[in-house]
Amino acid sequence: MKKIKFFMMALAAIVLSANFVACDKNEEEGNWVKYQNAVEKNVKANKKQNKVILLVAFGSTWQQAYDAFDETVQAYKQKFPSYDVFLSFSSAICINRAAAGENVDPRNFYAPNFWLNAFAADGVRYSEIVVQSLQVIPGEEYTRVINYIKDFANNANGDLDDEYLSKVVLKLGVPLLQDPESDVPEVAKQLNALYKDKAAQGVVAFMGHGNPDSYDTYKANVRYTELEEALQLYSESYFVGTVDMMENFKTNVLERMLEAGIVSGKVFCHPLMSIDGDHGHNDMAGDDDAWDNGFEPNEEGEVEDTSWKMFFQHMGYECNDATMINKGLLELPTIRGIWMQHTQDAINGEALDYYHSKNPEE
Amino acid sequence: MKHLFSTAAALLCFALPSTAQDSLHTNRMEEVVVTGTGTQHRLKDVPVQTEVITRRELEQYGGRSLEDILSGLTASFAFSEDDMGSQMQMNGLGNAYILILIDGKRLHGDNGGQNDLGLIDPARIERIEIVKGAASALYGSDAIAGVINIITRKYDRDGLLLENTTRGGSYGDLRQHNSVGFAIGKFSSLTNFQLQHTDGWQNTATEDPQQTEFLITDSRNKTVNRYTNWQVAERLTFTVSPALELYAEGSIYRKRIYRPSGKYAAVDVKTYDLQYRNASASVGGKWQVSDKALLTLDIDWNRHAYYYVFTDTTLVDGYDPYGNFTHYFPYFPGQANLQSDQRRTMGHLKGVFELPAQNRLSAGLEVRHDWLHAPMRVDHGGTVTDNTEALYVQDEYSPWRVLQLTGGLRLDRNQEFGFHLTPKLSAMVKPTEWLRLRAAWSQGFKTPTPKELHYRYVREMSGTYLYLGNTDLRPQTSNYGSVSAEIIRGGFSFSVTGYINKVEDMIALNTIPNYRAPEEYQTQYELHKTRQYQNLEDARTVGVDVNVRYAFKDFAVGGSYSYLDTDAHQYDADHERMTEVIIDGMAHHKANWFATWNHCFKRPYRLGLGLYGRASSMRYYQINGNGKAYHIWRLSSTHDVECRALRSRGITLRGEAGVDNIFNYVDRTPHGLHLGTTTPGTTVYASLTIRFNQGKTQFKSFNPNSKQNNNEED
Repeated sequence: MKKIKFFMMALAAIVLSANFVACDKNEEEGNWVKYQNAVEKNVKANKKQNKVILLVAFGSTWQQAYDAFDETVQAYKQKFPSYDVFLSFSSAICINRAAAGENVDPRNFYAPNFWLNAFAADGVRYSEIVVQSLQVIPGEEYTRVINYIKDFANNANGDLDDEYLSKVVLKLGVPLLQDPESDVPEVAKQLNALYKDKAAQGVVAFMGHGNPDSYDTYKANVRYTELEEALQLYSESYFVGTVDMMENFKTNVLERMLEAGIVSGKVFCHPLMSIDGDHGHNDMAGDDDAWDNGFEPNEEGEVEDTSWKMFFQHMGYECNDATMINKGLLELPTIRGIWMQHTQDAINGEALDYYHSKNPEE
Repeated sequence: MKHLFSTAAALLCFALPSTAQDSLHTNRMEEVVVTGTGTQHRLKDVPVQTEVITRRELEQYGGRSLEDILSGLTASFAFSEDDMGSQMQMNGLGNAYILILIDGKRLHGDNGGQNDLGLIDPARIERIEIVKGAASALYGSDAIAGVINIITRKYDRDGLLLENTTRGGSYGDLRQHNSVGFAIGKFSSLTNFQLQHTDGWQNTATEDPQQTEFLITDSRNKTVNRYTNWQVAERLTFTVSPALELYAEGSIYRKRIYRPSGKYAAVDVKTYDLQYRNASASVGGKWQVSDKALLTLDIDWNRHAYYYVFTDTTLVDGYDPYGNFTHYFPYFPGQANLQSDQRRTMGHLKGVFELPAQNRLSAGLEVRHDWLHAPMRVDHGGTVTDNTEALYVQDEYSPWRVLQLTGGLRLDRNQEFGFHLTPKLSAMVKPTEWLRLRAAWSQGFKTPTPKELHYRYVREMSGTYLYLGNTDLRPQTSNYGSVSAEIIRGGFSFSVTGYINKVEDMIALNTIPNYRAPEEYQTQYELHKTRQYQNLEDARTVGVDVNVRYAFKDFAVGGSYSYLDTDAHQYDADHERMTEVIIDGMAHHKANWFATWNHCFKRPYRLGLGLYGRASSMRYYQINGNGKAYHIWRLSSTHDVECRALRSRGITLRGEAGVDNIFNYVDRTPHGLHLGTTTPGTTVYASLTIRFNQGKTQFKSFNPNSKQNNNEED
């Protein structure tokens, strides 16, 4: 009997030791503060002015996108010399990968909440914070940017200095196509100035991102249609489609081309996104063999798994590597200038008042 | 490929004319197997077609891992190893349909549907038994493709045993196996420690240009990453009386997979390694109630936990200190974050009863509880559970010496999917001493796993892939039928088996439009592909397996060939039609072959030489290209020193050395696309085993039930 008891005790010891592995919970609790401190340290080390501009993009892991972001930050620094300029990603994966890697300098594109909290930290306390959205349309991603600012201004977590928040001047620069009356015609004008030669040779099809119908909550997708209409005032060769917007996929662009009587000729493709990353290289200019599977549209009318290049090529147009214009909008100085004008407008305009709207007695 | 198969055929033809006897071969056919029926039978007379890889064959082959052994010594398997474990195929069906048993107990845990076979120490394997199809009522109807039962060596005799096997090879390959066993009176103990390590290798530094911004030829991504795993296992046995034996077992296992980081953020920058933490505990026993009744009871508990171990600062999904969900919870190098924790508790009570009129009845009850905890990957507070119970009966009936019938029924009850009854039938006819004809039909039933139902994760592979569970899944059912003929004559054996396995509602990962992904994931990740578990309308695998073996004097030659065809359909709601779906990883032709020579020179030296080959035609995949056809050859040698001076001291010495992939075949398909095989090219290995036995000690294989009547012996 003693031996049986010994077995059971030995077994219990094994089971218990297996259950007590890796209780790292306590260690993790300090991570948030430690990370926030690292962001603050970075801001302090780079703080030269008393005002700051925070550019917010989704993010990317592509080199061409990094170059575009670097160029944009430089352009901002030149135009707004009295402001520090930082860049923020909202994609955690993009943040992680940009900051890591072997034999490369880390690129710290912290998430917006960490930047904003660092701006309010002791020893930093910018007097004016301008958040500039680098989104193209005022859709889902832009809403997240607004929410970050609200959480910050309202001291949602109660970890910021209310006195500072009640005084700091907070401004918000809107996306590229915010205003259908002014932004859309201006973007059309600048794009036409850049690509009218191409439009004279064939179709120039811009590929935006768009929000899927299920969460086009802010009805921002309509900007793509408005932009196409504005561009077609210059030339009927311009079209604007998207990756995700219902009834405005590449198949719908083709329908509109056919309605316009364009049945052959060159099709130039250009991303209508802030940077030329995965979508530009794969969804627009990628190679694939989806044609072999029949090119049948899905229930939303889009032919999946094929790029714009391959699609238009198989539909009988001259669409190939030579007609791909792989440039992000931030790489186009005149378009970038519109975002920068939005920043200037924000600076010139009234400050946001999220804090006092929530804390009226102050 | 053509010349390859003709080479194999020539080797086999060479074997056929002779009729010489070979004691090794005869011994092989006398091997006692247990998997098909759960009772003991000699291999030559087993009523359910069973393939066996014997201890001697394992030693001769010198395999570094279970993957190496199975792909090298049978034609029915295909493997693709990566960080998630081994993606395995058995006659065209993947891991989810293959039941891997270690001494009759189920291997536990998966990552992305793949199993970590590092849990199995090759040096502990006594033999491997393979039964195709859901043929056995005993092991669960979820073994739709079949069962691999790994029988390990046990120790339960008086005295002391010390054993060490150290195997080293190219690319920093190190395998350590250590055993300490002792027995005092009715009590015995066996402690095992194993360690496996490789530095990994890189077959190509080029990334698939279709998936990258520009041509990258200096990627740091490896073909097989560096890893280290170790395991400590203990088995205690207490023989209460000759009729009653109790045991307790436990093990702890760790594996870390090291992922190098490069400079291309889109391609090869990594910020965490992977780690597995496993544990197991079992108690049970067997009780020979009378010479006509045997009872066994096993209670098992297993844990398989999967962690990220961070190598750089990394933001992951989590909860901030204020209790809000965030995509930006930071971790720092050296810290670990749990991704999933799978725990399973099982109880299995089984009885084997000798009944009148040449009937043997097996009956049992199995209870299983699964618990899955994945804080950021499963809704419902991060935890889901599943309960299944099963009752089964099986009768082995031998009305005449030439005929053996086996019938089984298994009733499963699952908490979500209710009751399901699956029948199994098999028959063996022995019209002459040298011919066996077998036929089997069995139904299978497999409920969706908690992971298939609820689990979701994001994987970064030159683009973000989202994998989704699906709570609308239905259980899968299967019908498996096979017929086989086996000729055993002297040193010659030949078998041919034709099978068809029809799986209804097969669950497979399928690529779905990104817009069907949850909104949160669409917004947070620029998804390259979204894949979700879905029921296919139907799937069918059809094939023929051929095995041939011939031995005379010191020589043995043989080979196996497997032909496979698959046919799977899914209803495409978008286009209102059935579409054909590729079952990932299938290949039409697979073969392997061997020629061995064993010779005992003047004592004390025995030499064994072996030439092995294996080949596969192209492997097909839904996305990211097909795997190239390949053939690989291997030369092995074994060296046993059996001198009297050592033996009198209880010492055994054994060496193994060899060259794998002697023609240096390397698949240099760019990273990001499927490979036919991950072999790094020619590699060498050498191993040394030192065994010390004091007293009347020896290994013996554990038989779950004792010999009971002549059915087992004839």
